[in-house]
Amino acid sequence: MNVTATTVAWVRRAKPLLGTIVEVGALGQHARVDDAVRVAFEAVADIQARLSRFEPASDITRFHAIPSGTSIAIEKHANTVLMAAQSLRDASGGIFDITLGTAPEGWRCERSHLHKLGDKVRLDLGGIAKGYAVDHAVDALMANGCEAGWVNAGGDVRVFGDTDLPVSLRDEHAGGVRQFAKLRDGAFATSHFGHGSRSQAFAPIPVQAHASVAAPLCLWADALTKVVAISGDTANPLLARYGAQAWLH
Amino acid sequence: MRITLTTAASALVLAPTSVFAVDYLSADQAAKLMFPQADRFESREVKLDAAQMQKLSAQGVQARSATWPVRVAYHGSATLGYIVIDEVVGKFELISYAVGIAADGAVRQVEILSYRESHGQEIRLPAWRQQFVGKTVASTIQVGEDIANISGATLSCKHVTDGVKRIVAVVDLARRNGVLG
Repeated sequence: MNVTATTVAWVRRAKPLLGTIVEVGALGQHARVDDAVRVAFEAVADIQARLSRFEPASDITRFHAIPSGTSIAIEKHANTVLMAAQSLRDASGGIFDITLGTAPEGWRCERSHLHKLGDKVRLDLGGIAKGYAVDHAVDALMANGCEAGWVNAGGDVRVFGDTDLPVSLRDEHAGGVRQFAKLRDGAFATSHFGHGSRSQAFAPIPVQAHASVAAPLCLWADALTKVVAISGDTANPLLARYGAQAWLH
Repeated sequence: MRITLTTAASALVLAPTSVFAVDYLSADQAAKLMFPQADRFESREVKLDAAQMQKLSAQGVQARSATWPVRVAYHGSATLGYIVIDEVVGKFELISYAVGIAADGAVRQVEILSYRESHGQEIRLPAWRQQFVGKTVASTIQVGEDIANISGATLSCKHVTDGVKRIVAVVDLARRNGVLG
């Protein structure tokens, strides 16, 4: 086969990031697609460094160090995710809670500043930032000339371009995967709520479910899985606001 | 956005489960990707004696194996770094991965080489795992059934993260002892 610089090819790679396996698939010109995939992984690592509560220099770690009644200036990625989390908290009546119960009203984000309103508040963006990292990586693929592609961060996946991506659901109890849907130009996320699951911290009452949400952006797909699982309502009016559909299974 | 269900959620429990496997890179491809300047790679075998295993254990690293194959990347006579291939088993998944380590001992890159999702218990059986030994990749990805993506919740890369730490410690020890030339 004669591979020239203009030949279009698929590349598919995976790395351990965000506490899970992040997979990137991309269709692009042979000469450029490897670079585009590299930049997409860098975009994910960048979000991890800025938003993880485990990273010493992240805005979240800096927020934890300040006293109540003060604020810190935050950069644009933290601002985007925190503004989204704030609007979802308010619209869901507190169901979506990035403080995991430590102080749901203990923070406020305003004009690129993050205000601390209580001593006990601890933020954990695990329920929304993974989806945002996927969106950021997809932006990187598009900006670097890819015609189509997808990014999957441990089940939070978004696909773009002329591709129908088969999405399978993992059976968390017995193993194996089941075909569920084909996704085009959109995002899909699944959360497992049950005993021993990290997401349980979101739920004030014991629930046992997988919640899946499809939405145009992965940030909303990821975050809305928590709202759907806790409310138990796949017709929750919030879904329509973000162009989303949901399933409990 | 368009989503077309292949299985109704209500019928999901009844739908057959399948296994799932993806190859991303071969060991050779990973080595070249991590050290593009290398003009040759040489295989070495790091053998740890009991005292060395104990030393690692004191650092909080379980060496797991006494023998570690390491590829050394060279440009001319200069050592550029090392590549170690390893695999880890999770609850349902078998992940093989490569760690690239620079000549100064710092991690340069980690790449997943392959991912196997099992039905469950068979992942513990050597026979199940043996079927993948020696498989290489490089097949062009077809858009279609091949590219299925899993949406699950509990996949953790903790095993991989722990494995990377172990490999860094083993290579560091071997480097200090001059085993890797």
